[in-house]
Amino acid sequence: MSVDIQLAPVIHFEPGKIGDDTTRSGNLAAAALRAGSLIAFVAILLVFSATAPYFLSVGNIGNVLGQSAISGVLAIGLTVVLIAGGSNVVTGGIDLSLAANMGLSAAVYATVAQLGYGDATAVAAALLTGGLVGVVNAFAVVGAGIVPLLATLAVMNIVAGLELVLTQNTVIPASTPLLTALSSSGPLGIPALAYVLLAFTLIAAAIVQYTPTGLRLYAVGEFPDAARAAGLPVRRLLAGAFVASGLCGGFAGILSVSNLSGSTTGSGEMLLPVVVTALLGSVFSRRLVPTIIGTLLSTLFVGFLVNGFQLLNISSVLVSGVQGLLILLVVSATTLLRRQEA
Amino acid sequence: MSAASPAADRRGDAIHLERIVKRFDGAQALSGASLRVRRGTVHGLVGQNGAGKSTLIKLLAGLHQPDEGRIEIDGQTYDRLTPHRVEELGIHFIHQDRLLVPTFTVGEALFLGREPRIAGTPFLDRRLMQRRAGEILDDYFGVRLPNSALISELSTAEKQIVQITRALLDQPKVLVFDEPTAALVRREADILFRLIRRLRAEGVTIIYISHYLNEIEELCDHVTVLRNGEDVATLPLSETSATAIARLMVARDIADMFPKRSVALGKDILTLDHLSSRGKYQDVSFTLRRGEALGLTGLLGSGAKELIRTLFGLETATSGQIEIDGKPVRSVSPAQSVDRHVALVPEDRRGNGVALDLSVTENITLSSLKRFTRLGFLDFGGERREADDLIRRLEVKTAGRDALVRTLSGGNQQKVAIGKWLSRHSEVYLLDEPTVGVDIGSKVEIYTLIGDLAARGAGIIVLSSDLPELIGITDRIIVLFRGHVVREFVSSETSPDEVLATSTGSSETLRHVG
Amino acid sequence: MTLQTSPIEASGLPRAIIGAIVNNALVVALIAVFAVFSFATPTFLTIANLQSILVNNFTLLAIVAIAMTFAVSVGGIDLSVGTAVDFASFAFVSLVLAGQPVAIAALAGLGAGAAVGAFNAILISGIGISPFLGTLGTLFIGRSIQQLLTNGGNPVYLPPSGVPEAFRFLGRGAIAGIPVPLVIAAIIIVAATVILTRARFGRVALAIGIQPSVVRYSGITARAHVAVAFILVGLIAAVAGLILSATVTVYIPSSGNAFLLNAIGATFIGTTLSRLGRPNVAGTVLGVLLLSIVANGLLLTGLNFYWQQVGTGLLIFAVLALSFINRRKATA
Repeated sequence: MSVDIQLAPVIHFEPGKIGDDTTRSGNLAAAALRAGSLIAFVAILLVFSATAPYFLSVGNIGNVLGQSAISGVLAIGLTVVLIAGGSNVVTGGIDLSLAANMGLSAAVYATVAQLGYGDATAVAAALLTGGLVGVVNAFAVVGAGIVPLLATLAVMNIVAGLELVLTQNTVIPASTPLLTALSSSGPLGIPALAYVLLAFTLIAAAIVQYTPTGLRLYAVGEFPDAARAAGLPVRRLLAGAFVASGLCGGFAGILSVSNLSGSTTGSGEMLLPVVVTALLGSVFSRRLVPTIIGTLLSTLFVGFLVNGFQLLNISSVLVSGVQGLLILLVVSATTLLRRQEA
Repeated sequence: MSAASPAADRRGDAIHLERIVKRFDGAQALSGASLRVRRGTVHGLVGQNGAGKSTLIKLLAGLHQPDEGRIEIDGQTYDRLTPHRVEELGIHFIHQDRLLVPTFTVGEALFLGREPRIAGTPFLDRRLMQRRAGEILDDYFGVRLPNSALISELSTAEKQIVQITRALLDQPKVLVFDEPTAALVRREADILFRLIRRLRAEGVTIIYISHYLNEIEELCDHVTVLRNGEDVATLPLSETSATAIARLMVARDIADMFPKRSVALGKDILTLDHLSSRGKYQDVSFTLRRGEALGLTGLLGSGAKELIRTLFGLETATSGQIEIDGKPVRSVSPAQSVDRHVALVPEDRRGNGVALDLSVTENITLSSLKRFTRLGFLDFGGERREADDLIRRLEVKTAGRDALVRTLSGGNQQKVAIGKWLSRHSEVYLLDEPTVGVDIGSKVEIYTLIGDLAARGAGIIVLSSDLPELIGITDRIIVLFRGHVVREFVSSETSPDEVLATSTGSSETLRHVG
Repeated sequence: MTLQTSPIEASGLPRAIIGAIVNNALVVALIAVFAVFSFATPTFLTIANLQSILVNNFTLLAIVAIAMTFAVSVGGIDLSVGTAVDFASFAFVSLVLAGQPVAIAALAGLGAGAAVGAFNAILISGIGISPFLGTLGTLFIGRSIQQLLTNGGNPVYLPPSGVPEAFRFLGRGAIAGIPVPLVIAAIIIVAATVILTRARFGRVALAIGIQPSVVRYSGITARAHVAVAFILVGLIAAVAGLILSATVTVYIPSSGNAFLLNAIGATFIGTTLSRLGRPNVAGTVLGVLLLSIVANGLLLTGLNFYWQQVGTGLLIFAVLALSFINRRKATA
């Protein structure tokens, strides 16, 4: 075999070693990590609320939710792939094409809307686009057996290129009833997008955390041999995960058009922040695995950070660095903990 | 060939594997082995490593197809079994690899693949899962596990209980236990035995594979002994004993397989002084001299493997002293051990012993690159000469020195693994199961090689569960049982079944240990 | 470079041809693309154009991709190569702007890139973080640092009057008619090839990338080698940073990240050149060449500029798919 790149999720278990008795201290440490992250989250909120005016006002929170909607949807899509893919690069684990997918879907939506077709058609077209990208990923990874990092990288290139072809690197304005609704405010003066994010998260969480399919996705990602032994269709489940994330990309595309009243360029910028967000999300789950709610919390964490900086007039250039530091801290902590255990 | 059972009532057989032949890469794993298990009994299956036990079971599990022979389940012959089909027929396996997802709760792990739903919705009925899980665990095991407990938080015994429970949910007809007590303490093993007796009373057929012959004695109704790919006896336990079974397991007709050696012993090269590693082995002391071949043996959990790993720096001892050539050693990494001229030929040859996708030359020089480096650059010519020399000396059969090691047979791969250390001029050789998966011809060549190494003044420790081999190539043998050195034999003065009896703890004097 | 023997059984000439194509996907793609563009547009096959490909598309990407190859050969990846490029660029331009001699500024630039590599080395070899996550963190932190250093992302310009001769020479000069950047790239290609194929370090690195457990069991301290590999990545990427800023006489924050994805693509396409799928400098270089030719050719054929990326992506996809399917059949 050639080069094998370890993706490794933030928290990683070694399944199936004979006689492995995970020590109680290891679990204590994991619990500490999780508690620590929640405390950090709350602490930051407290600090900001103390120093920045209106930080914890309903309006501002709604603001943050609304602004996090697009990256939240993307991160959740990525989470599904993380769950079904696990740390084993061969069976899945990352979808680099998500941001480009969003861009293309947005362009498709705007174009279809501009051509005079109604909202329904435009939405269908956007979702179809996203789903198709997912299908291509699924084929590349499960069918052709290309390592997911490379497969989704190649697809990303293609999709980003298609987006440019469609948009000619310009903004495609669009205005439809749906878009207007999305970019307006809902009850309590909170942006409609905030509600969309919450609703989307609830539905996604319901499916992933509370249905048999969701449970099976976890099995496939963490311990494919056990999944196979239990008679699960591993390849089909993994393929499904990629299609699902593709659909999320499509959905995010629609949301992004509403956000900016048109499809704009620069969607590729969102990719790595979303990856970091999704990876960090597992810190918020009891079992230290990727979860939908955990990803939402992680997204909001960044959202509040950016928002807090804005309110305090601190330059947001630090956000990227904070994210980078966080992921390094979390991963270092878990790596060192595991080493101690061993 | 097995002794014919009186009044063979075919309809009473749950499982009948008849004259199975199976070849892998030209080597015969099974040469006409038969296994007949009567319904509602506990049937033991014993045999040394390499006797064919695991192959036979894998065939039953539908993971491989036999080259010859018949598989009959419940009176019906089956042609191409698959794992799925086998499970449908009611046969479940409790493997040593716990195929449980570490981050699942007990309930989730039990019901993966057949998850109950809340009526009328697509959602998991978690409450039902917890309840059912609790009921079965309490009923069969008298065990209560917290609902939210994750698999990764369970002890080995608890994980095994979950595995068994998962199988029980399907109301199996046959349960196959593969080395179930290897990592259990007495109390946990007792729970397991109670369960097995209860299942038998309920009409379940049990196949019990174990190295611990006293357990076979205690638990089973019948036992089949495999040896060299054949079944040599199937007996009711009432007509035999652990020692008799041991004798059946190891008798070998191959004489003169082991080249005679007589090597003058030199100075002490390796000394262990009260070496202990908490939870693994206690108070191990011995001295290895130059020219000496010391055998080490013990079951899984005996500490023998961990001892070897400590000597190579893969683990550290918690107390005690190691001395090499008179100087104390505290290796915390293989690099340090190798610096002190210790060599390890690991058990997992394909994973750790050789790099399959590197060439023979690249493998051979991997530990001794310094010798072939001038100013940071490799001396390819020197490497080639070294490789040619070692290929010749070790009689490695390969398409060429640049062939990938993947293309070599197991025996030749092992020679490359040993050759690497020859190139390094190592002085203490640790050989972990050196001839597993090696054809007979190469085995003899490796034995000769070991003799040569000793003659050149190296000290050698051989860890092996192949007892005739161990007796044939070593000067003395140390037996470990559950972490303690229980006995030392002079190789020429003992027999395989005596060593086996000691290592399986079935000797009378050992009843109280552990 | 010989054509590989086919694990796909060839029976008959047509099968043999298909087999040969699949097993040598990269070279075939290169030849095909070259041929297609030569026919498609008259301006492609001119000396001026070929030179332009080499200088504009090829040089910098080749250097960055070679840096990436070092990371991949020890079984990892480096998402922060662009960061090293940028840090080097920043140090270089800033010091020249401040009046320092070009040589000192260049050394500082190389040091900055090596420092990024050293940071990665600590994360990966010291703490034991996986390369993907570690370099991801470095990438993000690097972005913020650059924003801070430039007061929010302002480029650092060298005024036309303030460009020292050596600086100009590095970016726009020529030796015996060959542009200096290309000469440097050639030197790096040769040096990298030598290191990875003939030096002991290269042998150990290769082994680590193939089967790290055996390396450890052979008594080699793999960690040290991995650390050195990642420092080299930073160092080599720094060279690209120096050339980049010398060519355009400006440092633009986070501009180095533009190379990342293509560097990854080129390196992995490059592994298809090796019969065993090992990362190798020659393959990486051919991969960069392929990407460069495609970019250039699409531009010349007047095809919508934006189809370039699609074309590049499809090509990477095709080469990868063929290679992975092929390899799976071989090991099945």
